[in-house]
Amino acid sequence: MTAVTLDEIGLKEFTLESLPRLKELRTQYFSRQPEICIERARYVTQYLREHDDSAHSPELRQAKKVEYFLRHKSARFHDRNLIAGNTTSKALGAPLFPEFFALTLWPELETVSDRKKNPQKLTASEASELNLEIFPFWMDKNVLEVTRSQFDNPECLQLFEKLVFFIAAKAGCISHAVPTYTSMLQYGLSGLIKKAAEYEEELAGVTDADAEQKADFFRAVQISLQGIIVHAEHLAEEAKELATVADDPKDAAEFTAMAAVCRSVPVGPATTFREAVNAIWICQVGIHAENINMAMSPGRLDQILYPYYKQDIAEGRLDIGRAMELVGCLWLKIADNVTMVPEASEELFGGAGTVPAITLGGVGKDGEDAVNDLTYIMLRATELLGIRDPNVNARYDYEKNSQDYCRRVSEVILNTKSVPAFFNDKANITALCGQGERLEHARDYAVIGCVELASSGRDYPASSSIMMNLAAALEMALFGGKRPITGEEQIGPATPDPSELRSFEEFWKIFKIQLDWLIEQAITLNEYMGAVHQEMMPSPLLSALFIGPMDKGVDLIRGGALYNSSGATHIAFADVVDSLSAIEQTVFIEKKYTFNDVLEQVRGNFSGQKGVKMRLYLKNHTPKYGTEAVIARKNAHNMIQHLFEKYQSHTNYRGGPYHPSYWTMTNHAGLGGISGALPHGRKAGEVFSSGITPVSGAAPELTACLNAVAELGGECVPGCWALNIKYTPESDVAIMAERFAQTIEAYFRAGGQQVQFNIMTYEMLLDAKKHPEKYPELMVRVSGYSAYFKDLNEMMKDELITRTQYGLDDGRVVPLPPEAKRRH
Amino acid sequence: MRGLIGNISRYALHDGPGIRTTVFLKGCPLHCPWCHNPELISHEPEVAFYAERCISCGDCQAVCPEDAILMHGEKRIDHTRCTGCGLCTKSCPAIALVMIGREYELEELVEVLLRDRHFFEVSGGGVTLSGGEPTQQLEFTASLLERLHNEGIHTTIESNGIFPRETFASTCLDHLDLILFDLKCIDSAWHQEVVGRGNERILENLSCLLKTRARDVIVRIPVIPGHTATPENIGQIADHLRKLNVCRYSLLPYHPFGCSKAAALGKIQKNSLPEQAMEQDKLGQWQEFFHGIERVLP
Ligand code: SF4
Ligand code: SF4
Repeated sequence: MTAVTLDEIGLKEFTLESLPRLKELRTQYFSRQPEICIERARYVTQYLREHDDSAHSPELRQAKKVEYFLRHKSARFHDRNLIAGNTTSKALGAPLFPEFFALTLWPELETVSDRKKNPQKLTASEASELNLEIFPFWMDKNVLEVTRSQFDNPECLQLFEKLVFFIAAKAGCISHAVPTYTSMLQYGLSGLIKKAAEYEEELAGVTDADAEQKADFFRAVQISLQGIIVHAEHLAEEAKELATVADDPKDAAEFTAMAAVCRSVPVGPATTFREAVNAIWICQVGIHAENINMAMSPGRLDQILYPYYKQDIAEGRLDIGRAMELVGCLWLKIADNVTMVPEASEELFGGAGTVPAITLGGVGKDGEDAVNDLTYIMLRATELLGIRDPNVNARYDYEKNSQDYCRRVSEVILNTKSVPAFFNDKANITALCGQGERLEHARDYAVIGCVELASSGRDYPASSSIMMNLAAALEMALFGGKRPITGEEQIGPATPDPSELRSFEEFWKIFKIQLDWLIEQAITLNEYMGAVHQEMMPSPLLSALFIGPMDKGVDLIRGGALYNSSGATHIAFADVVDSLSAIEQTVFIEKKYTFNDVLEQVRGNFSGQKGVKMRLYLKNHTPKYGTEAVIARKNAHNMIQHLFEKYQSHTNYRGGPYHPSYWTMTNHAGLGGISGALPHGRKAGEVFSSGITPVSGAAPELTACLNAVAELGGECVPGCWALNIKYTPESDVAIMAERFAQTIEAYFRAGGQQVQFNIMTYEMLLDAKKHPEKYPELMVRVSGYSAYFKDLNEMMKDELITRTQYGLDDGRVVPLPPEAKRRH
Repeated sequence: MRGLIGNISRYALHDGPGIRTTVFLKGCPLHCPWCHNPELISHEPEVAFYAERCISCGDCQAVCPEDAILMHGEKRIDHTRCTGCGLCTKSCPAIALVMIGREYELEELVEVLLRDRHFFEVSGGGVTLSGGEPTQQLEFTASLLERLHNEGIHTTIESNGIFPRETFASTCLDHLDLILFDLKCIDSAWHQEVVGRGNERILENLSCLLKTRARDVIVRIPVIPGHTATPENIGQIADHLRKLNVCRYSLLPYHPFGCSKAAALGKIQKNSLPEQAMEQDKLGQWQEFFHGIERVLP
């Protein structure tokens, strides 16, 4: 049975011209400058100062804090978007979460509005409120400081604060989850509250501590959900007010309609497509009262919303154009917020959106084709809007989904030049089943944020818990536990000087000692911070939108979900594999160089005639990941295998496994910029390669590259990866889409888990760097998410420019123009 | 059994249907001045020198056992002394010296070709043997085709038409799905003068092939300004094809690919050739000659 009834799946008759509202909203979106919104910081601080009762359970305290904020949150309508509700009080706002890193803004209060790179506006009075009233309260109360004091400033925390070994994301968020909206839509929040009240009542007679904790949790659920309901009422009141003052009767009618929607949902069950869309959005807004706006992903909206769409179409209440307008409005709403980024973090995270991921297509829980009309409507909306958020992803099962679908997704990528990303159902479902997920749950996976995977509403994955810099471990192995950037300080174990080693296996062992030591530190810190989160930041509101917590009476942060993984991603994978292979080949197999020769040149950054010669030799004559060279394949495989086993030997504070993954956001550029030379001929300061992508220029043949990556996929990469491929655009989109689709299918058949594209040339990107004003809307794939090219820092721009570009006409690397090489 | 392979090109889209891997076998009995692959004409391995990559480190000179390295002037290799041992190419850090031609064991080559089987399967592609002239290593070519066919891989050959007919028919033909057959000129004297051999064998082979496999043959005509691209020649070819009931043809527009490759080998291609490539859409005037025959894009 197929749910596709469209005559033309491209829906080409719908354009921004035929959907003027979307065109207008899109133009407004691109003209907006982000503003910092202090509302949340103000009200949670106020609540904690004046109303908090520390005798209550953490869940209850959190729920009351969230409810207090939602009750005070302003209800605004900034434009003609048909969907009510905003993440912040600003049209494009950065909310502040003082529980996490908001205090990094403190020294920048006066400059953040006018800084050169990605300024975020802040009014003088709000800056002063932050300075005098809000920030002082939080000095010792954010997650990082609480962890420090609670665990006596542990070594792992100090290591994290150097920022060049690993990043412990919990200092900044958990978020990164895919809730399920199905029961919210079906029963309304009032239905969920009723259920929580019943559970609470059942526990009333029981007196043990466990029952008390559970009852508290159910109380917390009711309170926090009530906050959303109150906010929806405020939205309804404001809309009604606007309807009465509107000059144009058409505007008045729109506000009246929105007021009606906000009165019906999310408090009650959704009865129409429009109500369902708005209910989901208001709940997203509610979630962000509790959890920071980082990769909180709506998930499989083409599946969740389909019954409402279908019914409205059948009953003549809705047509495709209107559905697309509502979807477009939702996309623009999802894009209404950014994260607050202090200048110091621009290097690492500059240009990132908040990466709420939407996942389309693939198979359903029954394993059959789940692509429907709404899938294509959402693809078309994505194609028309060409905006950074939401991060739209397309699942593809090459046996169940049609080739038309694959070609259509390919066409959208070619037209937008970058989105959506492609995910392989077969490989990803295998990976999740390998983690003990039930088949039907694994089949219902959605993408979280960048690339990681979670069974929708069942896995609380805390993806992105750890970002591990593999190059740090390599440098420590080369220099006996020290790194050039941290100087003489002994960081890791004092492993032997590599020049004394007799075999590559001995060096591999030393590398693993350093790597494992770093992983232990990172996991220890993650566990500490997890404990702090359990006390400080439970998520009763989000818990209500998950499967598991309501049955168990346990908050997500204590392991309430069905599955409870933690994600650990890795930076510089390809660079480190290539370095290991270069050492194995030249020092131990060919014996062309001694280990000392190599170390000397790495220390000296390959300078002088000898250095230049060695660097060329290492670049040109050693086995490269991304080719089918035996040694490179072995080392890549061993690395994946080792990381998998290492992480899987740990259980996190919620009782779930650690999932290794391979995506890097912009960290590979930032960390590359501050790392020394490496033995595969990379000079100090050069960017690392992104995600699981081979080193730029190291993989000359497209099919060999895809094969080499694909064979790593499956069970050992439960957190998935980001593979970046850059193609030369061609004039004939139809022919290119055909080849494009075939290439993806072959890569998937070989086991590849994910791939994302940039369809652009070196020259175009060079031009965009030189003349940003000419490319205000140019969107690029970074590593797992999209960014506007103009927002990226210079290093990241260079990284995108120098990424290997393949011609889809011949599968060959297009040579880098001399202008792009001139950086070093 | 070993074959001398000049190059293996994966993700080839213009050498037959779908996504293909093209194997370039070394050695050709002709020497067309416009040859795209002049590095594949010789039957021996050769060293190519790419001057723009060279950093003048002298490592090549240090390892050459034959004293065949010239450190001054534009050439790096004294081809009269070089035995093709390849030591210099292994030590050159800059890959300015590159060995063209490597012997492969049959199974070793098959393993490489099968790596892209999934690309063939999703696109209706396969393997194409090209060169040089693949039938110059006839025994190897025949075994390779058979091996590939047994694996269920679609096979194509690109040939200049000079091959021993009987042996080709008995050892290769059954394992070929598509034959791309080059035809340059009808006038044999011209053929002899410009590319080094008369064309009698080629024309005979073509007409024999068409008797049994007409549907699997595409005749390809290189359109070379100053050589084949005359109304007289193209007209004669078209008439001949019609006479033979050829079903499909394609025109190969001129491209100056070969010039820089020849230079890297210290060979100079005829400077009578234009420096600019010919656009596919400039072929219109020549297509008109072929009315009645189906045109296929290369
Ligand atoms: S191939 Fe051998 S003989 Fe020829 S130049 Fe190189 S090292 Fe000398
Ligand atoms: S070894 Fe290579 S780079 Fe060095 S002089 Fe010879 S050709 Fe030039």
